[in-house]
Amino acid sequence: MVAQARRALSIAGETVEPAGAAQARRATTEPPLVRWALIAAGVVFILLVLVLPLISVFMEALRGGAATFLHAVGDGDTWQAVRLTLLVAGIAVPLNVVFGLAAAWAIAKFDFRGKSLLITLIDLPFSVSPVISGLIYVLLYGANGWFGPALKELDIKIIFNVTGLVLATIFVTFPFVARELIPLMQEQGRDEEEAAISLGASGWRTFWHVTLPNVAWGLLYGVLLCNARAMGEFGAVSVVSGHIRGLTNTMPLHVEILYNEYDFVGAFAVASLLAGLAIVTLVAKSLLEWRYGDRLAAGRKH
Amino acid sequence: MTITAEGIYKSFNGFPALRGVNLAASRGEFVALLGPSGSGKTTLLRILAGLEFADSGRLLFNGEDVAAQGAGERNVGFVFQHYALFKHMTVAENVSFGMRVKPRDKRPSKAVIDSQVNELLRLVQLDRLGDRYPSQLSGGQRQRVALARALAIQPGVLLLDEPFGALDAKVRKELRRWLRRLHDDMQLTSLFVTHDQEEALELADRIAVMNDGRIEQIGTPADVYHHPATAFVYEFLGNANRLRCRIDRGRAMVGPLILPAPEHLELRDAAGVAFVRPHDLIIGDARAGGLEARVRQIFVAGPAIRVELALLADGEMLEAEVPHGSPAGELIAPNKLVTLTMAKIRAFPDAVAA
Repeated sequence: MVAQARRALSIAGETVEPAGAAQARRATTEPPLVRWALIAAGVVFILLVLVLPLISVFMEALRGGAATFLHAVGDGDTWQAVRLTLLVAGIAVPLNVVFGLAAAWAIAKFDFRGKSLLITLIDLPFSVSPVISGLIYVLLYGANGWFGPALKELDIKIIFNVTGLVLATIFVTFPFVARELIPLMQEQGRDEEEAAISLGASGWRTFWHVTLPNVAWGLLYGVLLCNARAMGEFGAVSVVSGHIRGLTNTMPLHVEILYNEYDFVGAFAVASLLAGLAIVTLVAKSLLEWRYGDRLAAGRKH
Repeated sequence: MTITAEGIYKSFNGFPALRGVNLAASRGEFVALLGPSGSGKTTLLRILAGLEFADSGRLLFNGEDVAAQGAGERNVGFVFQHYALFKHMTVAENVSFGMRVKPRDKRPSKAVIDSQVNELLRLVQLDRLGDRYPSQLSGGQRQRVALARALAIQPGVLLLDEPFGALDAKVRKELRRWLRRLHDDMQLTSLFVTHDQEEALELADRIAVMNDGRIEQIGTPADVYHHPATAFVYEFLGNANRLRCRIDRGRAMVGPLILPAPEHLELRDAAGVAFVRPHDLIIGDARAGGLEARVRQIFVAGPAIRVELALLADGEMLEAEVPHGSPAGELIAPNKLVTLTMAKIRAFPDAVAA
């Protein structure tokens, strides 16, 4: 049905149609001039805003030749930044998968007091500027923060440390998984879980064998988005990081440092790595959609 | 398995869904819970299954109190209205689910599971479709998969929530006869929820007619159809015209007509309603005497001619049925004045009338 609706509404993408004169006119079809004008506007906009900057990142990175690029990328601090970024994402994303699943499960499958408040809270990181998110952590855990003295006693360091980076990243990327899963789980209702329970399955088994497979694709999509944001986050991380080279510098922060030091090749080299990670993520997502799209659609309808 | 429910109360957010329901089903019985939407029939079924828990009341399976047991412990086969098949599992995986999730010491071996799945699929006539996904099946096929899945745990009782609700008329008829045979062959104890009186009358050994959280009457189909206990049951089972009347010493006065109402010998001039089935409404010539009415619409398609009439007295609309080719058929034409008498009525004084 969705595919039908999409076809009926599509203005671009008319190339799939045979150019036969006998072709039936659709209610939604516009005159050719309007169509081409709209398509052209879309293409130009995408080129200018999305494609051109992306290309320029790689061009700038390779401006000095492959050797300079490799030299910049091979720098110790850069590698440290790459490793730290992967480490932070590697901790934040799995945790958010667990939190997101738990929150979505609770919201979609149970009725309880304060449910709408919880839904609103999940959206909080989306509506708050990342800089503020970072500042909150400094305010709470910084040397002069609420818990600062207590943490100092215990010799626990959060701000200007990997822990702070992870916390800030979790905060900023929290909604991605939950937001993706809540509508999906709500739409699917409780019937299948009830069926599983009445067939004698335990709650845990029901979750693994019924609930999770039903939202697997939505979950994957949420994870990819969450991951992309976790690796690319700048604002919140910038506040809590302290920009200590080789210690608390993630890739986006490293790009900024290099850029401020007029090391343009280095900055763009690291930026190109970051962009590369994003592209890999997108390609992976498209591949999965293309390969399993039918099953995804079949899983959603019933 | 015998099922006994006593004094079941259940409310949702202060809104009462069941107000003191008593129900018993004996081994091998096929019981219908019949009622309009919102009458509490599905809630009752879900309480029996353990998917919902009563606020108060007792629930016994084979004399044993199961009120505190969870759905998984009750050994109940539940067929959901929209089947609730596991979308990402094949038909065979769906059917075998109940066996595969058993604790390790009670779980049958893979070979046993496979052979039972095959047997069940044969039983529901889907033997070739084991490796299909639910989305590749028709509604009737999904329904049968849901049934096979519920039967796979060898339930003591089979509960079906509007089992034919989502199917088209023809498939529905076939499936319900088949289900009745299956019930008899397997000697199941089954309860099903329906709002379709025809389905309940055809399928069930006994019908519990529900209204507003209570059971109005329990009895055989013939019982509830021919001897409805309340006005609600009369109206819900089959079409009925509703007329104001006065009941006095075993007689009901409907306008100028005086009709026997032998159930109410003890009543003295009480207000009430008289119900008359469309085929008991007799259309006569304008001078014949009776209730005066004007013909509004005539529907000739179908097994009998259906006539819509408006009473002259208060404009109330009535529906009559006249066999094709009967003399009364000659009398009716749009806008024609006729008189009505009744072959049979059933009167209920207002205190009982819903």
